[in-house]
Amino acid sequence: MGSPTSSTLVDLAPGSLLWFPGHAGFLPFASTEAGLMARQQLSGRGSPTHVLMIEDDPSIADMYRVQLEHDGYRVTVATTAELGFITVAENSPDLVLLDLLLPDRSGFEVLISLNERLPNHPPVVILSNYGEPSMIDRGRSLGAVEYLVKSRVTPADISSQIPTWIAVGRRGGQGES
Amino acid sequence: MTQGAAFLQNLAAAGFVALGIAIAYRWYRERGRAQAMLALALISLAIVAALGRVGDPRHPSAVLSIVEVVAFLLSGYFVLLFRNEFIPLGTFAFQAANLLLAISIVVGVVDVTLLSRADSRAATLIGLELIGAWAIFTGEPILRFWLASRNLPAVQRSRMRFLSFGFAVLIAISFVSILGGSALQSPAATIVVELFVLAVVPAIYVSFAPPALLRRIWRMGEENELRAAIQDLLIFTPTRQDLAERATVWAARLLGGSAAFITDADGKVIAHAGIEPARAAHLMAEQVNDSTRAPDRVIAVPLPLTDGQGSLAVVAGPFTPLFGSEESSQLRAYASSVSAGLERARVTERMAAIESNKTQFLNLASHELRGPVTVIRGYVSMLEGGLLGHLNERGRKAAVVMSAKVSEMNELIEEMIEAARLEDGALTLRLVEADLREVARAAAANVAPLVDSVHKLELDLPERRVRVNIDPDRTRTIIANLLSNAIKYSPAGGSITCQVRARAGIARVSVSDPGLGIAPESMHTLFTRFGRVITPETEHLKGTGLGLFLGRQLARLEDGDITVTSVPGKGSTFTLHLPSASASEAPANGAPPDAAAATEGHVVGARARANRRSTD
Repeated sequence: MGSPTSSTLVDLAPGSLLWFPGHAGFLPFASTEAGLMARQQLSGRGSPTHVLMIEDDPSIADMYRVQLEHDGYRVTVATTAELGFITVAENSPDLVLLDLLLPDRSGFEVLISLNERLPNHPPVVILSNYGEPSMIDRGRSLGAVEYLVKSRVTPADISSQIPTWIAVGRRGGQGES
Repeated sequence: MTQGAAFLQNLAAAGFVALGIAIAYRWYRERGRAQAMLALALISLAIVAALGRVGDPRHPSAVLSIVEVVAFLLSGYFVLLFRNEFIPLGTFAFQAANLLLAISIVVGVVDVTLLSRADSRAATLIGLELIGAWAIFTGEPILRFWLASRNLPAVQRSRMRFLSFGFAVLIAISFVSILGGSALQSPAATIVVELFVLAVVPAIYVSFAPPALLRRIWRMGEENELRAAIQDLLIFTPTRQDLAERATVWAARLLGGSAAFITDADGKVIAHAGIEPARAAHLMAEQVNDSTRAPDRVIAVPLPLTDGQGSLAVVAGPFTPLFGSEESSQLRAYASSVSAGLERARVTERMAAIESNKTQFLNLASHELRGPVTVIRGYVSMLEGGLLGHLNERGRKAAVVMSAKVSEMNELIEEMIEAARLEDGALTLRLVEADLREVARAAAANVAPLVDSVHKLELDLPERRVRVNIDPDRTRTIIANLLSNAIKYSPAGGSITCQVRARAGIARVSVSDPGLGIAPESMHTLFTRFGRVITPETEHLKGTGLGLFLGRQLARLEDGDITVTSVPGKGSTFTLHLPSASASEAPANGAPPDAAAATEGHVVGARARANRRSTD
C-alpha cells in the first residue's frame, strides 16, 4: 500500500507529491501492455471498440479523442446528459466515459436513468474534477466500474485501462452496490 | 391627646400637599399623559387634605365643602384615567364611570347645600355613596396593578405595590371613618387613623419617585441574575441580528415593558420583540418629532451602532405605567453594553465570513483549476510520448520541464483541496496498519527527483518493523513534504536524514536538515494555514504555506503530531510522532499483517478532534 511500486498511476509521474492519491480509483490497475490486438479482440471480429464520452468541455473531449483514436478506438462525444443518454440507447457503445458536471443534468442522474431504463447498459467510468470520498462512494454505489479524477490521470492511462473496464463490465461488475 | 391628634392631622394634610407638589414638579419635568393623570389625582387629594384643615370644622363653608367633595371624587376619577392610559377602558366602562362621577358630584353638592342638617343615617348613606364611588374609581386600578406587579422586575414591582398599598389604605380608612361613626371621634382613634394616613404619604411618594437607595435595595435580589444573563447574551450571541433581537427581549424584561425595539440611524426598525415593526416605527417617529409631547409609554435611549446613532426603545406594557429617570438611566447603561456587544458580534461575524470565504475560495479555485490542468497535463504527456509528432532534443527537454511543472501545480491544487476539506470537516482518513519504514521509503522515493548534486538523502531505518495505524498515503505525503521542505530550505546543500524509530509506544519519523533554520519568533506561524516564514533567505522559495499546516492537522487526526526543533543558521529537525499499533491489535489468525487487510477504521476529520490534542 505504501510502497512506490504499488501506488496508483499518478505516482509514476516523477516529482509528483500528491496529497491524496489513495482515492483516485478503486480497481487494481491493469498492466499497460494492452495494445491494439487486445482491443480488437475485445470488440470482437475486428470492428474497433466504441467509446462514448459524455463531456461538455470540448478541450478535454478533443484531447482524449486524440489519444483514444490514436490507440484505435472509435470515439463519440456527447456534450449534454440528454445527448449522452440517447447515444447510449441508440448506438450501444462498448464503454461510457462520464463527466459529472454537465450543462443539463448531473452525471449521477445520467447513470441513474441508465440503470433504470437500460439495465444492460455498457460499463460506465466516471471522470470528474471532484475527488470527494462521498462522490466516489456514490459513483460506486450507482454501479460505475471506476471513478477517476481527471487531473490525476493522463489520456494514456485511460486508454490503457479501457480493456480492463470492458472486461469488468462483461463479468457483471456493474450494478453492484 | 387632642392636641396630638390635631398635630397629626395637620402633619398628614401637609404630607399630602407636599406629595401633590412633588408630583406636580415631577410632571412638569417629565411630562407624559399618564404621569399627568397620577399628578392630578394626587394634587386633588392634596386639595382635599388641605381644605380639611382650613376653616372651622363646626361651621364648614359651603363653597369649600363643594370644592372638597368634587376634588375628592376627581382624585379617584384621575386614578381611573391613569389606569386608562395603560389598559384602555372599554366604552361601556368609561361611560359608567362618567355617569357615576356625575351622580356622585350631584349627590355631594346636594348633600353639602341642602342636606347639611339631615339626620346622621342620611349623612352616612351619602358618605357611603361618595366613598363607594371613590373606592370603585381607585380600587379597580390598584387591584390590577397589584396583580400585574408579580411579573415585573423588582423596582417596578415594588413601585406598583407601594402605589396600590397607599390607595388601599386610603380606601380602608375612608370606609372605617364613615362606618365607625362616633366611635372614631375620640382623639386616640384619630391618632391611630392619622398614623395610617401618614404611612400612606411615603408609600405613594416612593411609588413615583423612589430614592436611589431604595431602588438598590429592591433590585439587590435580581441584580446578579440579570447581570449574568445579560453578560451571556452580549458575549456569546454569535451574530449581530441574533444579538439585537435577544437584546430587545432583555430590554423589555429589564424595565418590565411589554415590548422593545432597536432602530438604526435612519429610524428603520432592525430588531423588535413583542411589537409589530410598523407600530414600532410609528412610536419612534413620534419620539423623534416631538419628544415633549410623546407618550411616556415609550422610553428611548441612543444606541451607538457601526453606521450611526440608532435607538433602543422600550414600550410600557399594560401594567408598567411608570417610566422615570431610573428606567431611563438603567436603559442607557444597558444600551451601551448592547452597543459594545453588537460591535463584538460584528467583528466575530466578519472574522467568520473571512474564514469561510477563504475555505470556499480554496474549494472553488482548486476544483476549477483541475480542469485546465487536466488538459495541459494530458497534452504534455502526449508530447512526451511522441503522440503529437516527433520533438527535437530541445522540445523533448521542454516537455519534461512542463510535465514537472504541471505536476507541481497538481500538487498545490491537491494541497488546497485537502485544506478546504479539513476546514469543512469533510476529510476522511482510512486507517490501516502499516510499517512506518515502508512509508518512509516511499516518501523518500517520491522526493528523489528533487535531490540534486549538492544534497544527499540518508534513510536511517531500524531493523524491525515499525507498526502503526495510519492512513498510509497521507502519512507518506506528510513525510515527503517534510523531506522536500528540508531540501528546499537547505539551499547550500548537505546531508538530509530521515530517521525512523519506535520507543515506548510512540513511533517517530525525524527529518533533519543542515539548512537555514527557523528563528524562535517565527515558530508560531509555522503550522498555521498559509503561514510561511519569510526572510531574505527564503523569500524566493515557493510554497503555499499549507504543507506543514496540513501535515500537523493530518498527524493529529491519526492521534499523532508534528514537532520541530531548530537553530537558526544550523538547521532544523521536524519530527512526526505516531502511536505504535499495539501487539494485541495484530491479526490473531497468524495471517501476515498485510497493510490493506489488517485492522481498518475510519476517522472523520473534524477540527474539534484535530484541536483536541493541541500541543502548542
